[in-house]
Amino acid sequence: MTRYGMVIDLKRCYGCYGCMMACKTANHTPPGVFWSRVLKGETGTFPNAVRQALPVLCMHCDKPSCEEVCPTGATYQQDDGIVLVDKDKCIGCKYCMMACPYGARYSVEEWESYFPDGLELTPYEEFTKKAWEEKSGCGVATKCDFCKDRIDDGRDPACVEVCAAKARTFGDLDDENSEVSILIKKYRGTPLNPELGNEPRVYYLNPR
Amino acid sequence: MEPKVNGQLQTEWGWLIAIYLFLGGVGAGAYTIAAFNGLIGGDLAASTAVGLWIGFPALLIGSGCLVADLGAPQKAMLAGIKVGSSWIARGFWIISIFMILSLIHLIMHLSDATGGAITVVSILGIIFAIGTMAYTGVLLSASKGIPFWRAGVVPMVFVISAIVTGHFLVMLLVSFGSDAGASLQKLAGEGIIIVVLEVLVILFFLQSAYKIPDSRESAARILRRPSFVIGYFVVGLILPFVLMLAVYRAEVPSTGLVILGALLGLAGGLILRQAILITGALPTWNMGGFQFRRIHRPKEPKPGIGLMPPK
Repeated sequence: MTRYGMVIDLKRCYGCYGCMMACKTANHTPPGVFWSRVLKGETGTFPNAVRQALPVLCMHCDKPSCEEVCPTGATYQQDDGIVLVDKDKCIGCKYCMMACPYGARYSVEEWESYFPDGLELTPYEEFTKKAWEEKSGCGVATKCDFCKDRIDDGRDPACVEVCAAKARTFGDLDDENSEVSILIKKYRGTPLNPELGNEPRVYYLNPR
Repeated sequence: MEPKVNGQLQTEWGWLIAIYLFLGGVGAGAYTIAAFNGLIGGDLAASTAVGLWIGFPALLIGSGCLVADLGAPQKAMLAGIKVGSSWIARGFWIISIFMILSLIHLIMHLSDATGGAITVVSILGIIFAIGTMAYTGVLLSASKGIPFWRAGVVPMVFVISAIVTGHFLVMLLVSFGSDAGASLQKLAGEGIIIVVLEVLVILFFLQSAYKIPDSRESAARILRRPSFVIGYFVVGLILPFVLMLAVYRAEVPSTGLVILGALLGLAGGLILRQAILITGALPTWNMGGFQFRRIHRPKEPKPGIGLMPPK
C-alpha cells in the first residue's frame, strides 16, 4: 500500500524560503498562515557559530495527535497516510492546534489584506481569498495536505518541486526501492523529535 | 541556566476559554460543596441552597463562552461525536449530564423533596461535578503541543482551584443571608484547608514545570507575570487565606471580610486559568545538535516595517 512521506536533506537546505513561497502560491494561504515554513537555528559561540535552516510542515504522522483530539472527526487520515481536515465537520475549537507538537496547524478568523488598513483587496488577493475559501476557509483548522491535488495529478508537492537545492524528496515510504526509502536507509534519516511518539512521516537527513 | 523566553506562545485560546474553564470549575465546585454539605446536613446545610443555584447557570454561561470561541459556532452540536479519543467530546457529555443532574437537583430542592431519590441525585451529581472539574484540567493536559500543560499535576491544579473558587462563591452568597454567622465560620474553616492544599499543588506544579526543559519557558513566563504572582498568588490566594483565618477565629464573623476574601479568591481563580493558558509555549525542536523554535511575535505588525507605513 502507498504510504506517502518526505525526506529533507538538511545538508542541502540553505534556507532560501522558496518552499514557503511556493506553498503560499499553490495553496492560496492567507497572511500569517505558513503550511510550509523555514526555521533558523544556531549553535556554538562566535567566532565558531553555525547557522542551520530547518524546513517544517505537517509531518503527516502515523499517530497524529491532532486526529486523536478532534471532537468531531473532522481531522482524518487517508489510507495513503495523508492527514486532512474536513472543513464541513470542523467546528473551529482549535484543540488540534494545541495537540500538534509541530505547530503545523492554523486557523484564521477572517481574511485580512496584506496591505495596511483601508486599502481594498487587490485582484490577486480577491482571487486567492476565493480559492482559499473553497479549499479551507476561515474559522476552521487548516494545514498542509502534501498538495493532495498535485499528487493526484502525478506531480510532487509544490515545496518539493520548487526546491532549488533538491533538498526535498517526496515518495512512497512503503516502497523499498523508492528514493525516499533509499535516502532514509542510506543516510539514517530521522523524524523531528521522535520521542513525542507521533511517528512523523517527514524525515530529516542530519546537517553534519 | 536562564531559560530563553522568546518562543512562540499559543494565541488561540484566550479569555473566552479562560472564562469557560473558570465557570466550569466554579459551577462544579460550588455544586460539590453544596451537595456534599446537603448530604452531611447540620449547620452547613444552609450553603446547599445557594450552591445548587450556582451549578447550572455557571455551566450554561461557561458553555456559551466556549461556543462563542468556536470558529464555526453553528456546528457546535457536533462536538460530542468522537468520545473514544477526544477530551472535548468527552467533556461535552460530562458537562451536559452534570447540567441536567444539577437542574434536577435544584428542582427537587425547591420542591422540598426528601428521601432516597435526592440522595441518589446528589451522589450522581457530585460524581459528574468532579468529572467536570477534572475535565477542565485534563483538556489541557491532553494537549501534546504545549509542554507546560502536559504535566500530570495540571488536572489536580484545576480540580483544587475549582473546589476553592466554588467554595468562595458559596460563602459569598451565604454571607448575604441573615443569621449566616455559624455557617460562615464553618465554611471559613473548610476554606482554610482547601486553600492550603491549592498553595501546595500550585507550588509543586510550577516547580516541576521549571525542571522540565520544554516547559521551563512557560514556567519562567508565568512567574514573570505580575498579574499571576501578585494578582493570583498574593491577592487571590494568600490574602483570602488570611481573611478566612480571621473570620474563623473571630467571635462574631465579619460579613465584609468574607465578601472581600471570596471576591479576591474568585478573581484569583480566573487569573490563574488565563495565565496558564496564555503562557503555553510551543516546544523546541531538536535536529542535528541544533535547537529550533518559532519566535513569538505579536499579532499586530509594527508600523514602519515592510509594507506598513508609520502611523
